[in-house]
Amino acid sequence: MSKTDALLTVRNLSVGFHTDRGDVTAIEDVSFEVRAGEILGIVGESGCGKSVTSRSIMRLLPKFNSFIVPQSEINFDGVDLTKVNEKTMRSIRGNRIAMIFQEPMTALNPVFTIGWQLDEALKYHTSFGKSQRRTRAVEILESVEIPNPEQRYDEFPHQLSGGMRQRVVIAMALCCDPELLIADEPTTALDVTIQAQILRLMDLLRRKTKTAVVLITHDLGVIAQICDRVIVMYAGQIVETADVYSLFKSPRHPYTKALLESIPQTGREHHQTRLPTIDGIVPSLFELPEGCRFQDRCAYKTQDCVDREPQLSSEVNGRKVRCFFPLCEP
Amino acid sequence: MWVYIIRRVLYNIPVFLAIVLLVMVLLRNQDPVPGLLGKNATQQEYDSKRHELGLDRSLLVQYGALLTEIVTFNFDREMWTQSGMTVGEQLRSAIPTSLALTLPALALTTLISICIGMLSAFARGRWLDKTLVFFAVLGMSISFLVYIIFGQYFGSYQLGRLLGRPIFAIHGYEMGWQNWAYYLLLPVLISVIVAMGYDTRFYRAVMVEETQKDYITTARAKGASDRKIMFVHMLRNAMIPIITRIMITLPFLVTGSILLETFFGIPGMGNVLLTAILNNDFPVVEVFAAIFAGMFIVSIILTDVLYALFDPRVRLQ
Amino acid sequence: MISRPISSRLRRLLNTREMRKLRRDKGALCALLVIGCYLLIALAVMSNLISRQDCTQVIGSNGMPGFFLEESRERRFENARTSMLKPVLRALGHPDPKAALADVKLGRWRVAEKSLDELQQITDDAVALRLILNESENLDEEPQFEARLVEFERKTADLIKPLSGWDNFMQNAALLLGTDAQGRSIFFRGVYSIKVAIQIGVVTAIVSVLIGAVLGAAAGYWGGWVDSLIVWLYTTFSSIPNLVLLVVIAYAFTDSDAKDTLLPVYIAFCSTFWIGTCRVIRGETLKLKEQEYIQAAQTAGFGSWRILFRHVLPNTSHLMLINFSLLLIGAIKSEVILSFLGLGVKSQPSWGVMIRDAGNNGDVMTGFFWQIGTATAFMFVLVLAFNILSDALQDAFDPKHL
Repeated sequence: MSKTDALLTVRNLSVGFHTDRGDVTAIEDVSFEVRAGEILGIVGESGCGKSVTSRSIMRLLPKFNSFIVPQSEINFDGVDLTKVNEKTMRSIRGNRIAMIFQEPMTALNPVFTIGWQLDEALKYHTSFGKSQRRTRAVEILESVEIPNPEQRYDEFPHQLSGGMRQRVVIAMALCCDPELLIADEPTTALDVTIQAQILRLMDLLRRKTKTAVVLITHDLGVIAQICDRVIVMYAGQIVETADVYSLFKSPRHPYTKALLESIPQTGREHHQTRLPTIDGIVPSLFELPEGCRFQDRCAYKTQDCVDREPQLSSEVNGRKVRCFFPLCEP
Repeated sequence: MWVYIIRRVLYNIPVFLAIVLLVMVLLRNQDPVPGLLGKNATQQEYDSKRHELGLDRSLLVQYGALLTEIVTFNFDREMWTQSGMTVGEQLRSAIPTSLALTLPALALTTLISICIGMLSAFARGRWLDKTLVFFAVLGMSISFLVYIIFGQYFGSYQLGRLLGRPIFAIHGYEMGWQNWAYYLLLPVLISVIVAMGYDTRFYRAVMVEETQKDYITTARAKGASDRKIMFVHMLRNAMIPIITRIMITLPFLVTGSILLETFFGIPGMGNVLLTAILNNDFPVVEVFAAIFAGMFIVSIILTDVLYALFDPRVRLQ
Repeated sequence: MISRPISSRLRRLLNTREMRKLRRDKGALCALLVIGCYLLIALAVMSNLISRQDCTQVIGSNGMPGFFLEESRERRFENARTSMLKPVLRALGHPDPKAALADVKLGRWRVAEKSLDELQQITDDAVALRLILNESENLDEEPQFEARLVEFERKTADLIKPLSGWDNFMQNAALLLGTDAQGRSIFFRGVYSIKVAIQIGVVTAIVSVLIGAVLGAAAGYWGGWVDSLIVWLYTTFSSIPNLVLLVVIAYAFTDSDAKDTLLPVYIAFCSTFWIGTCRVIRGETLKLKEQEYIQAAQTAGFGSWRILFRHVLPNTSHLMLINFSLLLIGAIKSEVILSFLGLGVKSQPSWGVMIRDAGNNGDVMTGFFWQIGTATAFMFVLVLAFNILSDALQDAFDPKHL
């Protein structure tokens, strides 16, 4: 595999759930790639399917009521993760692919020490001896900028603040040197200053270790800060894919454009103007329209948009848009 | 720590006093003397008996006397229904008997129910879970009595006939380790089956609550296997409500199971107590109530202490 | 308050998210149906469809099996001998035979309308046959007596006035599940017990839930000494083993005036069952107290009682409903145990009384399962239905339940 080949290739991923009211498809036809050392951002509103996407890569969705539609393909370094057995998956989780979650306050087990929990991950995936594991754990705690790592090793989660706990979670994820890190809204529950620190930390680490990162968020500011490429999702589908500069400079999908416009701006010229919003709400997955899923909220809707569903079209320089009339900016 | 314990003891003393008083008042609603002397005794004999037993004193005086006895651990009053035997002696022989029945039952029930509860919670929503819950509900809908009656019939009578020799006793009891299985194993099994319905559902609910916690997902994302998650992560966290529940049942171990003991003729605390109540044997019931109240309070305090032991969040207070 | 017609309020109530979830639960709906049937039966019994007399009078020989099962010859002989023959013989020997004969009844059977001479003739023939059959040691092993036995049965049947319609139906229904050791109809007793059980269950549950809810809400809302008092009260009561407390309270009534009514049972149950509801409602009130709408009501100057009854309690009503169904089950099961010990229901048949009769007479040991089976089966279905219903209620209203 050459340096420019993608580490993770997701193709036509569709995931559904069994509910009281029948089966529903949560995400449909999701395709993207991630290369070593790059940060891919997935952005979208609550409920658009970002978390479902990330968890299905790790096969962490509950087995009893979720299902991955057969044509889906999740190719990680030559292996199709939708087809491996549970044992293989377990050896990959925490080891080659790691994941961190949104709520640092509840992500750690309250009855075990920090050190014990780091030790656990190392025990599963390495053959280090006890003292070697401890050394490694302290080392990784240090690298996530936790002061007094030796002391913290023996402390319990409730003795740490939210920001500290999230650093521990990152440490746990990175302690076995994964090739891919999936971060599901890692900074949403933290206040802004801590948020900036955590993001800077993640950026630093991935430059050092060349880890690929999939960063999920609903905050475009976070995307702008560290992502290389971006995927925009809406109602279970990808509506736009682009590199971060192009996305912010010239968004092609009306939804992306509306999102960018709704970011509150500071500065004199924005005083006294109303904050732009996107009218309407996300359609329920049980009542999706026939045509484009964004039609009810789109300023540029035509009859075509109502009749047919647009597909994700590829363009030059790797951009993709799901729209019949993508916006053209000079 | 000690300050805390002492404070809890003091706080619960009014509870203790109230329990003893309540029992005394309820008992004295009926005059026990006619039952003891027969209907044909003269009024004079009644009065002298009443004086002998101390029943002509005011309630407060009797109350005080009882409390003094309890506090000095003086259990030498004679039983009213069996002359020659003091309350203390009766308790000393009855308590180990009850424990021989209730302790194994508790241990077995807890072990089995926790495992089933865990399995059920883990397989939540799938057919295994639904089947287990269904049987639990089924089991809970049959009266305890019916279990005992049929247990006696099939467990000892029919089984004995089938195998040619009695494996389990239908009735009766003898002390001694070698006799345990013959006399007590069947009641223990009945007790376990009856309790399993409730306990499995309780432990299942506790486990289900744990499965929905975030740290489980984190552990999975680290590559933990299902077994590790169940027995290391979930169990350790579930220990807190589990211990609380077991602690609450502690005083009842000593009570014994009144029904089981009555049916199987096992002379444990439950049997003794029931007989005492139905025969107006005041000393036995009063002392027993006091002991039980004391144990209850001890168990409450013990629960708090163990809580701190198992939950590091509470510890550093 | 804007007044709305009942129908629209009802529709709104049935359409809340929880109610919709409940309606989708097929198990719960089945359970509700079963409970409804039981309620109808209870009402029917209360309006004298099956009277207490139906339950206490002798309708056949002792220990008859149900479903009109084929019996051994010895049993058939016994049945025929002790049914109409015995009382008719006794009546004929009475100084005033006609009056005595009119008094003879076995369930709904009466003496046939024949002349005294005819009756005398029939009984003479029957007695003669009886003598012959009595000579055999064991009729089951001597098939040659079969013809005589059939004749004997026919003779004794001749003594019975033919029934029609409703009476016939009721008489057969009475024998549907056999008779107990005293010859009483197990079926009627079992059905009558439904009324007793539901009566005790409903009254106990309602009173206990109300007491528990009011005390719990008061404790949670006012806190302070009120809370301490109520907590002390229920800690005390819950420290005595449930059964012991019930026994002690019920026993305390054994010499009082009310000893044959259900009052001791009610008092014993309500004194012990209110605790569970109290704890739960108190916990919920403590949580609700922090809610903004309570604080808003306080700021608006509403009196405490009004807040309690108009704002707090209605929001705990789902918990009260759940507790109601749980307590009902508890009451039924506890009644069985209390009656078994002789302390519960005394002058009426109930499931506990039936099981006690079965136990005391060694029914099970002789293989006679009809009485205990009936009581258990009827009780099991009702308790199971309530268990399923309360599970469904808890799933819908209180998902974090235990």
